[in-house]
Amino acid sequence: MPLLEKLSKNMQERMLNWPCNEYENTPWTQPSKPLSKSKVALVSTAGFHLRGDKPFSNGDTSFRIIPSDTEPANIIQSHTSIGFDRTETFRDINITYPVDRLLELVESGTIGSIAENYYSFMGALSDVTKLIEQHGPEVASLMKQEDVDVVLLVPT
Amino acid sequence: MKVKPPRMLAVPFNFGNTLGEANNPKLQNDILNSSLELLKFDTGPVLKDYLTSPISNPIVQGSEVKNNHELKDIKLQDEIVNSFVAYESWLNKNGNRTGVGLSGVDYIHFPELVDSINKFIQDHSNDIYQRPKAVSLGRYLRYVVDDLKAFSFEAKMAKETNITVNDLHKWFWQDTTLAKLIMTLVQYMKLHPDPEVKEESFGIAR
Repeated sequence: MPLLEKLSKNMQERMLNWPCNEYENTPWTQPSKPLSKSKVALVSTAGFHLRGDKPFSNGDTSFRIIPSDTEPANIIQSHTSIGFDRTETFRDINITYPVDRLLELVESGTIGSIAENYYSFMGALSDVTKLIEQHGPEVASLMKQEDVDVVLLVPT
Repeated sequence: MKVKPPRMLAVPFNFGNTLGEANNPKLQNDILNSSLELLKFDTGPVLKDYLTSPISNPIVQGSEVKNNHELKDIKLQDEIVNSFVAYESWLNKNGNRTGVGLSGVDYIHFPELVDSINKFIQDHSNDIYQRPKAVSLGRYLRYVVDDLKAFSFEAKMAKETNITVNDLHKWFWQDTTLAKLIMTLVQYMKLHPDPEVKEESFGIAR
């Protein structure tokens, strides 16, 4: 996200007062294997999904599954907001959904492999209760079934 | 830090530009590699800044740009049809990747879609006949506007590959008949009796 001081006064206030959850500790898992042998999944909060899949609605905490071999032409973004501009994503989906870059990281041997599926959420959620209690754990469980080692979360 | 995610790389780019710059794989790879580097830490939370010159041009809003009074009285349908070739070249150049698609209407039928919006503006008892029953009117109007903007932006970018985002916004809001229609639609939505239509008008004209 942009540096706070570069945002408008209204936006600064909005960000500083965003109702985010506060935690005492951080969940911490040490990688069990080198990155070059790890399977990496992508999680986006930019509201992408397959064309024909159910669009996101305001405050929607549910998720969409996007198989990692999906052609970018078959992906659409239904989260649109005054808060961000989609133009650069029209130009290059990798700026918010780095599918090609991850494939290159496999080719260069930086990461071991990519997961079968990537996952997509809406951003700008003010009430994340269902995300924490239901949809987040569901995605975590799916990724465990796919033996994912590392998750790259790319927000908008 | 309130949330304390285990590992986080903070990037100084505008919202919607998380990996820095479109069509700049070198920068995007560097950002990804810097994120993955965070796995080397033994304890967390790890919060690191991605150090680079911030790209911080705020995006021009539709409301900040005055319509060009010299605007030729071009018919909106003609403006749309005149963009078909450029939009098709965008599709060809980008492996059919497009931001268009939320309305479910194929771009060749966009002239009829803008006609429906015009009729809706003239009389709010007119529905948008292209709207699937499962999608609310307010939401569908947003989808339609998003599609028309995406179509128009992509057609322009096909003609002017290196146009900046701000110049694109200025051109669109200043010089196109479509932008005038969207501005009128937004004013109309704000006065609509359906509260959801009112709510969806927020932020459409940007």
